Amino acid sequence: MDGKGLNRGQEVLRKHVLDAYLCTGCGACVDLCPYNRSYRGKIAVLFPCVIDEGRCFAYCPKIEVDLDELSMRFFGKPYDGNPLGAYQSITAAKAGHRIKDISPQAGGTVSALIYFAMIKGYLDGAVLTDRKGLLPVPRFVTHPGDVLGCATSKFAAAPTLSAVNHAVKEEYGNIGFVGTPCQILATALMRSNPLQGDDFIDPFGLVVGLFCTWAVDFRLFEPFLAERIEIDRIRKIDIPPPPAEILEVFADVGTRLEIPINEVRELVPKGCSYCIDMTSEFSDLSVGVMEGRPDMNTLIIRTDRGRRIVEEAEREGYLTISKLPEENMKHLVWASGNKKRRALVKAQGEGMVNTETDAEKSYLRMSAEVLERLIA
Amino acid sequence: MSYLTDKEEGTSYLVMGNEAIVRGALEAGVNVASGYPGTPSSEIIDSLAKVASELDLYVEWSVNEKVALEVAAAASFAKLRALCAMKQNGVDVASDFLLHLAGTGTRGGIVLVACDDPGALSSANEGESRYFARMMEIPLLEPGNFQEAKEMTKWAFELSEEIRQIVFVRSVTRISHASGNITYGKLPEKKRRAEFKYDGLILDPDEGVMVSPPVGWKHQRQQEKVKKVREMFEESPFNTYQGPERPDLLLITSSACYLYSREAISILGLEDRVGLLKLGTTWPLPPKLLTKHLLKTDRVMIVEEVLPFLEDHVKILAAEQAFEVGVKTFYGKNDGTLPMSGELNPDLVIAALSTVLGIDYAPVSEDYEQSAKLFASVGAPVRDLVFCAGCPHRASFFSIHNALELDGRKGFVCGDIGCYAMANRPTGYRTLKTLHAMGSGTGVASGFGKMGQFGMDQPILAVCGDSTFYHAVMPALVNAVHNKADITLVVMDNSGTAMTGFQPHPGVARNALGQEVPGVDIAKISEAIGARVEIRDPFNVQETRETLNNLIEDKNGAKVLVLRQACALSPQRRNKKNYDVRVDQTICVGEVCGCGRFCTRIFRCPGIIWNYEKKRAEIDEVICAGCGVCADVCPQGAIIREDVPKR
Repeated sequence: MDGKGLNRGQEVLRKHVLDAYLCTGCGACVDLCPYNRSYRGKIAVLFPCVIDEGRCFAYCPKIEVDLDELSMRFFGKPYDGNPLGAYQSITAAKAGHRIKDISPQAGGTVSALIYFAMIKGYLDGAVLTDRKGLLPVPRFVTHPGDVLGCATSKFAAAPTLSAVNHAVKEEYGNIGFVGTPCQILATALMRSNPLQGDDFIDPFGLVVGLFCTWAVDFRLFEPFLAERIEIDRIRKIDIPPPPAEILEVFADVGTRLEIPINEVRELVPKGCSYCIDMTSEFSDLSVGVMEGRPDMNTLIIRTDRGRRIVEEAEREGYLTISKLPEENMKHLVWASGNKKRRALVKAQGEGMVNTETDAEKSYLRMSAEVLERLIA
Repeated sequence: MSYLTDKEEGTSYLVMGNEAIVRGALEAGVNVASGYPGTPSSEIIDSLAKVASELDLYVEWSVNEKVALEVAAAASFAKLRALCAMKQNGVDVASDFLLHLAGTGTRGGIVLVACDDPGALSSANEGESRYFARMMEIPLLEPGNFQEAKEMTKWAFELSEEIRQIVFVRSVTRISHASGNITYGKLPEKKRRAEFKYDGLILDPDEGVMVSPPVGWKHQRQQEKVKKVREMFEESPFNTYQGPERPDLLLITSSACYLYSREAISILGLEDRVGLLKLGTTWPLPPKLLTKHLLKTDRVMIVEEVLPFLEDHVKILAAEQAFEVGVKTFYGKNDGTLPMSGELNPDLVIAALSTVLGIDYAPVSEDYEQSAKLFASVGAPVRDLVFCAGCPHRASFFSIHNALELDGRKGFVCGDIGCYAMANRPTGYRTLKTLHAMGSGTGVASGFGKMGQFGMDQPILAVCGDSTFYHAVMPALVNAVHNKADITLVVMDNSGTAMTGFQPHPGVARNALGQEVPGVDIAKISEAIGARVEIRDPFNVQETRETLNNLIEDKNGAKVLVLRQACALSPQRRNKKNYDVRVDQTICVGEVCGCGRFCTRIFRCPGIIWNYEKKRAEIDEVICAGCGVCADVCPQGAIIREDVPKR
């Protein structure tokens, strides 16, 4: 990520990400300064900043992301375009018998892992996504009991990383983080000491990524739902795994609403269509719903740190592990490969992918050979 | 006792032009005075209010100029003498009533004083009020110096009473706000008793009803008065001529331009070549007087502010008398000899005279002029108009700006008349995007608020001050509520008519005379109109911002947010700090902070200064008003506010 002498601050970020509708509102640029704020799912730049090189730019997962450099740093090899990213193993998983009072989405693997890491003292706190009404909001928890309260899917982008920035400012370390692929990509950038600070410390103790094909724009999603049901009555929202093709809305006294997924797709922000990552490739662990088994998760173990926690959690009864059926594995590879190719073709076609010799622009940088192979 | 009520005839005082007008009214025995504050007119009512109890006058700050003129007219109908004062565009507000009043006629002497602001030094316009005299067919007088301001005002009451018509006296900033020596005349002894008679015949001007119909008959009577006035103006001592019997050029002028013209003639030494006809009675023009002077020469220059009012009427007259006076060459606004916008000054008149008379005159050398321009552009620091330190408007607009940016739908503010009109500049974070007449912000917003039908999704805000709210916002708010216009009106209530000098308004429980009166509550009015109303302290920026976003997102018609905090210069806040504020030099990390000098570059309160040597922020204790808002604005928490210890 060499400078090339260009402004690497708010101005370029605004032009190439915000004004280009690439922003997914992950919150990586928020709470670092008095300028960038998140409000109802969107990032706002309050005033023009004069700093040439800012953390906002350095942390943004939508501008000048050098995939080779990140891959070398976290997995010791250049980015090869594997549909699932670099990993050690993939299994089926669900919360173990020692997790009680939990009614999370699907298998509860994420909550179980963060909860376990916290009670063991591996994490000083965790940044999760809670919701206020329908609005997903970041939440920093320091008590394991609070983890389970955040355990439902949100479907709209959340500025969760702003809470990491805030926690770092408060001098917290060993932070657990759960987020979507765009957010996980931002954590990878944040962990790379992008501004080459001398006193840099990686603030993350465990990074758990979620599977994601797209999210919805909250500002469209809320009125969309409000046309169908009073927002205050909504208790839970779910997208059951294929082939259901619906969004389920659960309201009070057993009311259940089915909305065809095609209608919901209209609400997906443009930024999601450029995303090449379905499984949060730069996490320690990635978790998604297991197809055909709504009570189970698919778990991708990517790093040693992630593997140790999974093994320990299983040993102590906080996590149950089983083999992922071959069919599921095949489909996972197919689906994530599809997303990657589709997004890369689009991004490349619009001049947003840089190879070694290109000038700096949105949003990715990778080797020419891998790019060619992936979009072939 | 005020020097304005000195009974000693023949004494001289150095007074402001507006005070000369006041003294003239007092010498005429004025009983009632009303007005609405507006620069450069405000000192007239302010000064009359100060002497009201001593001289048993009734003086009020009215809710707006139209009501002010109605109040003054009532006094005239009751055979009292009344004066009504306002700035130039106040006459626009009063004009509907003025039309009907002029058609009806008056009884006790009544004088409308309009103080115009050529160059818009303290206005959002440089409107010409003189055209109203022509349009309403009432006599117009323009004083050309301070003594004349007094004499003319006094005589205006007599003229008004003689012809039973309102008389228009027009001043300008450089008469109203400059000072000069005047010699006092007598103050009258006798008092008048008010009574409105209406039992006479309908057409009886003194004892009939005061109504404008029958219009045809009344209009003819009105025009007969104009004819009579024209005759009287032929002999008026307010029209003077200085210069040779056969000048090369006749310069016709009025008002402050008389002083500029005299200076220009003197500097150029043209006393023997230029004849100076100064007119004090500028409508209707006296034809015989003009004919006499037009016969002196074939070249005529008219010097006046702002539009060619006098010029046009002199030309009409010259055309009517063409057979007698012959063909003239005119110089003025229409041919571009003098600018048709902005203030004039002696230099501009010198330039015009030099051109017309072929004189080579340069006030400064070309070198000097070039250097001055160069140094002014590169050497002088930028000094933008800013809100004062501790001004509640800064905090309010900071919250408005942030709310609109967070919302992200390109929302904007429809502005109004007050200090807060500066919010189109950096001091108000450039939030204000429209600015017109008093009350227009809410009216324009009301229109924008209905554009959703055509796809407009931008949040619409309007702002107004407390005095402006009563003046003209109320009907616009009624309109917005009634028509379900989706707008948020922010009333920046700073407890007085701040920009013009803290005159009381209907919201203040004290009138112009200092008496206790009922204050009329803005929030209650708004609620009664049917708006959702919230009240906040703008110094609480977080709460204000959240409330604003909440109101913007409420799509059920018009909402009102009242932001209450007194003006930093107001009597109740001046020299009283809420907090002692300081920058903790160990917490402020200056340029390495990453905030990009947020306090001084963005928030821009003049009470915060950037120390370029230490590269840290500091509080300027002399200027800081102690509002403490900056402590909430500093991202580092380096600005410390502490309660002021009891002294």
